[in-house]
Amino acid sequence: MSDIGKVRVRIPSSIKAGDVVRVRTLVLHPMERIERDAQGKIIDKKYNYITKMTVTYLGKTVVSFDTTQSVSENPFFSFAFKATDPGQLKVTFTDTTGGKYEGTADIKFS
Amino acid sequence: MTRAATRLSWLATLLIAAGCATTGSDGNDASSVPTWTTRAIPEARGDIRTLPDGNREALRYPGWPTTDFTRFRTYAYADTRGEVPVKRVTMPAGVTGDPKKGRALFLARAKGPCTGCHLIPGDDVWPAGNVGPDLSTIADRRLSNDYLYQQIYDPRPVFPQTSMPPWGATGAFTPEEIVHVVAFLQTLKGPLPSEKDADRNPATRTKPVGFGDNLDPTNNPAVLLAEGAETQWNAKGPAGKACADCHAGGADAAMKGVAVRYPRFVAQYRRVMGIEDFLTVHGPETTGTAMPSESDANLNLTMLVKMASNGMPVAIDTESPPARAALARGRAAFYRRVGERDHACADCHTPEKGANKFLGGRLLAEVTTGLTRHFPTWRTSQNQVWDMRKRMQWCMTPLGTNMLPADAIEYAELELYLTSFDVGKPMSVPGIRH
Repeated sequence: MSDIGKVRVRIPSSIKAGDVVRVRTLVLHPMERIERDAQGKIIDKKYNYITKMTVTYLGKTVVSFDTTQSVSENPFFSFAFKATDPGQLKVTFTDTTGGKYEGTADIKFS
Repeated sequence: MTRAATRLSWLATLLIAAGCATTGSDGNDASSVPTWTTRAIPEARGDIRTLPDGNREALRYPGWPTTDFTRFRTYAYADTRGEVPVKRVTMPAGVTGDPKKGRALFLARAKGPCTGCHLIPGDDVWPAGNVGPDLSTIADRRLSNDYLYQQIYDPRPVFPQTSMPPWGATGAFTPEEIVHVVAFLQTLKGPLPSEKDADRNPATRTKPVGFGDNLDPTNNPAVLLAEGAETQWNAKGPAGKACADCHAGGADAAMKGVAVRYPRFVAQYRRVMGIEDFLTVHGPETTGTAMPSESDANLNLTMLVKMASNGMPVAIDTESPPARAALARGRAAFYRRVGERDHACADCHTPEKGANKFLGGRLLAEVTTGLTRHFPTWRTSQNQVWDMRKRMQWCMTPLGTNMLPADAIEYAELELYLTSFDVGKPMSVPGIRH
């Protein structure tokens, strides 16, 4: 993949105050799996995968996920939250190499 | 060219056309079409191999049927064989039809299945199609056994334009089997019990609605694959150059509006090419990177190039003389009957025939709506990106004909004909379909 850590956040095109909004997010990430050598022994190295995903809305954490290597490459998360005020929704992914990948969406009411 | 020479070439065209007509070909001049050495990955070439036991097997994509249909005619222009000969028959005496066996044959997936096109009563009939007439009460029409036998054996003496395959004439059903099916049909009398499930009957079945926004990367995995090709776009090949070195400004800017002109006649190679075909030669010639047809490298880069034209109307050349000749051949191929089933593309994809009807559980697409502008497309049923050519190759097995190489000129010209219905409609690549 070209851009590790490119985060996409998709929200519905029109939101009204108080709506429960479903957000779809996706991050480009290899999510390395455990590799084994020819003898079947696990190769001991530092695998690069996402361990945490946090969502903040108006500066407060709305939801956070702890993830492991069992999650697929380019992981996709979907969750719902209640949009009470206009503001920024921020999604942060953290991987084992210390990489922090952020994506944002502006919540506006129409 | 002098006027006399023009006249001569015209005469030659006429003579060739006349010659083809007598051999049962489509009457289109394919003599100007060059031979093309395929540049496809091995499983996309339509090769046939002989097994140690002497049987022949077709080499196709992993998981695809390997049945060899060499006996039946293909889409190749060089294949001048006619369609399956029409045969008039009478029902053999001395065989007593067994309706039970007939019903099993009617449902057998290894045979037709007849239920792919015809509805009959029964909750185990799933999924039935409606390309052919509903046979639920066929016996009430009091047709003779001989008539039904002929209809199944080879319906063409009665209906020359039918979509129904000549099951007996090709040997797909033996005469005895057809007698059983006739006996079964003669038991189908009304009145019908009320339908429990509206989706069982294709006439009342809900039509599928699609899979949402095809350009949303959280919805269509193919978008990510295409964006991944940007690495390839910027990577230097064995010749020391990358795509980006000649096409400056990034794929999105450099390739804007390019894909709307494809497939097109490329004079350098004297053939019609889609983006996929062009990359198979253009990649090795410029960057030195091999991009065989149907390889991931080829498909992903094709998507990247086509995505740069998303939203722009398709504007292929349909007017220049080579394009017109290719379109005529593509159209002839669309109506050409091939394979064990003696089907043409038109049987399933024109509104007069099967389009917008169900073939089993599948809703058949209509050619006039334009079928190519979302290809390559993500197939949810396969978890793969398919380009137009693989989609065409996939149609070959149910037709009972061997597939051609993915980059065959025949397919390119057929794609050109299909794309002529997309003209003026906005591109949207990659698509997402079942």
